[in-house]
Amino acid sequence: MSIFLQFIIGGMFLGGMYTLIALGIVIIYKSTRVFNFAQGWMVTLGAFMLVTLIGKFGVVVGVIAGLAFGVLLGMVIERLFMRPMIGQPLIAALLLTIMLAHVIEGINILTWGSIGYDLPLKLPGQSIKLGGVVISHALLWGIGVAVAAFVAFSFFYWRTLMGRVMRATAEDHQVAQSLGLPVKGVFSLSWVLAGLLSVIAGIFLGVVSGVHYLMYTALLGAIPVVLLGGIDSIAGAIVGGMILGVLQSLVAGYLNSALTEVVPYIVLLLILVIKPYGLFGLVRIERL
Amino acid sequence: MERPAGIFDIRYEQDMAFVRTGPQWACLTGFLFLLALLPLFAGSYFLGFMILTGIALIAVLGLNILTGYAGQISLGHQAFVAVGAYTTAVLMDSFHWSFWATVPLAGIAAAAVGVLFGLPSFRLKMLYLAMSTLAAQFIIIAFFNHAFPDYFRAVGGIRVNRPELAGIDFRNNEAFYYVVIVITVLMTFFAKNLVRCRLGRAFVALRDNDLASEVIGINVAKYKLYAFAIGCFYAGIAGSLWATYYRSVNPLHFHLEVSIWYLGCLIVGGMGTVVGAVFGVLFLRTMKEIVVIVSPILGELVSPIDAPKIGPALGVISWALVVILFLIFEPRGLAHTWEMLKSRFRHWPFKYAL
Repeated sequence: MSIFLQFIIGGMFLGGMYTLIALGIVIIYKSTRVFNFAQGWMVTLGAFMLVTLIGKFGVVVGVIAGLAFGVLLGMVIERLFMRPMIGQPLIAALLLTIMLAHVIEGINILTWGSIGYDLPLKLPGQSIKLGGVVISHALLWGIGVAVAAFVAFSFFYWRTLMGRVMRATAEDHQVAQSLGLPVKGVFSLSWVLAGLLSVIAGIFLGVVSGVHYLMYTALLGAIPVVLLGGIDSIAGAIVGGMILGVLQSLVAGYLNSALTEVVPYIVLLLILVIKPYGLFGLVRIERL
Repeated sequence: MERPAGIFDIRYEQDMAFVRTGPQWACLTGFLFLLALLPLFAGSYFLGFMILTGIALIAVLGLNILTGYAGQISLGHQAFVAVGAYTTAVLMDSFHWSFWATVPLAGIAAAAVGVLFGLPSFRLKMLYLAMSTLAAQFIIIAFFNHAFPDYFRAVGGIRVNRPELAGIDFRNNEAFYYVVIVITVLMTFFAKNLVRCRLGRAFVALRDNDLASEVIGINVAKYKLYAFAIGCFYAGIAGSLWATYYRSVNPLHFHLEVSIWYLGCLIVGGMGTVVGAVFGVLFLRTMKEIVVIVSPILGELVSPIDAPKIGPALGVISWALVVILFLIFEPRGLAHTWEMLKSRFRHWPFKYAL
């Protein structure tokens, strides 16, 4: 029983990682209707940057500089690549983020090479032992950050003016622009938020598993999470992340470990066939 | 369509003809002659380049039918290439079939798998369909990596021998070049013809507006599956040649990055034109070779620790960045530039015609 619980806890941990990445994708989709394929690669870049910055300036300044880098990354990507895509077919924006992912991968290889790094950072606190089950404090931190992000973003999207502007922009870029909404500002802000989230996710991933340029292969699992939870649902990102993380951990524990890497994609295929808009996604009905 | 000055179609056959004018005939025969005589004066390295370009072109033509014409975005095309490659490899390795018999079977196997993974397209489109093909990419490759180790040999991969026919040994690049080039030319011709017939027009209607095409009597579900079958058939043929060219098949060859590179070729060339697929593949393949040549030179400029990073990094950045630039500045691709160029030439000295 305690082994089972341990698998669940491990899965929740993995799910927390997925959630943090998925949140970045959901936020961009929710405010601009662009699906950011590159989020996993951005997280890798953020984690690499943290390794360098913390090594240079120490922990506190390093983390703050890392977050600033996240903001800058979001702004640069938006200004250079995403702004010309305003009003273009959404599929072109998707293809652009896919290509962007590979540009970031190249930058990662060019700057940090193909060796692994450890993030010289410890999260405050200690792991807790509950009746034979070890709960890592990193897990509690991860879940805490995910829940805090959920509350903050839910408030932001449903109660503040900017949040409403963002949801309107997601409906139709051109109409939003015609109504005088600051579409460019929405794009900019949402990419800045995504950049910030990618660095935050980078902190947790770096602490837990170190940083390597191939990290994105594991991080691609966040895409099934997004679609499982519903592509425009913040709660869906958390629930989907937890479901998939636990499932993957249980499969690794009790079934074939070779299956682990495909579990997210089998789930993705099933959810797309059964319930294409995900568990909590907004169902868009198309009729003649 | 625009015609060169003084050319008028007076019969239906002329209206439908591939090649219309004398100069076009001359260009076509000249080009085919050039392709046929290439091994006489080109080195083995250049022939290798041409072989890989031909294989990539077949795959991209398939993706063009699926994505460019029928509008079903596929992020997993290389997985269907893998199905073809593994079909050929397993049939030759475990069952001792002849290579020539496995080529069509590789195409059919890939088409069957493509139809299977195309089934979600009944309910999905655009982003969601792209994600389901992403799932196909990972599931198919993991299948070859872990299932039936007796046949698929897991990570170790399968060794494949190059074929022999009527005393000709296809082990050297000169002979194998002819196999690839003949198949490539035939497949290009077939693709060009396919998109002009009823099927191709249905695909275009489907891409432009699926609801409207349903209303005018196109069975959307059926034609989507046709698109998957034909597109993946091309991928299977490409995979079969891929396996025999590299003489081994390994799950690591069939990476997501290659699937995306195929999409990149389509974007650079221009989606939904056959000539675009040719331009795109030639452009990105040439750039790849330039990077291979340039990166050791750049490597000497930096410290020896950084030198090995440059090749792989430049290899990825260069094509991805080029595709991004095309997406932003010329979304219709090189095919459109080519059309503009021709039109400019025909109307000279006027800027434009009516």
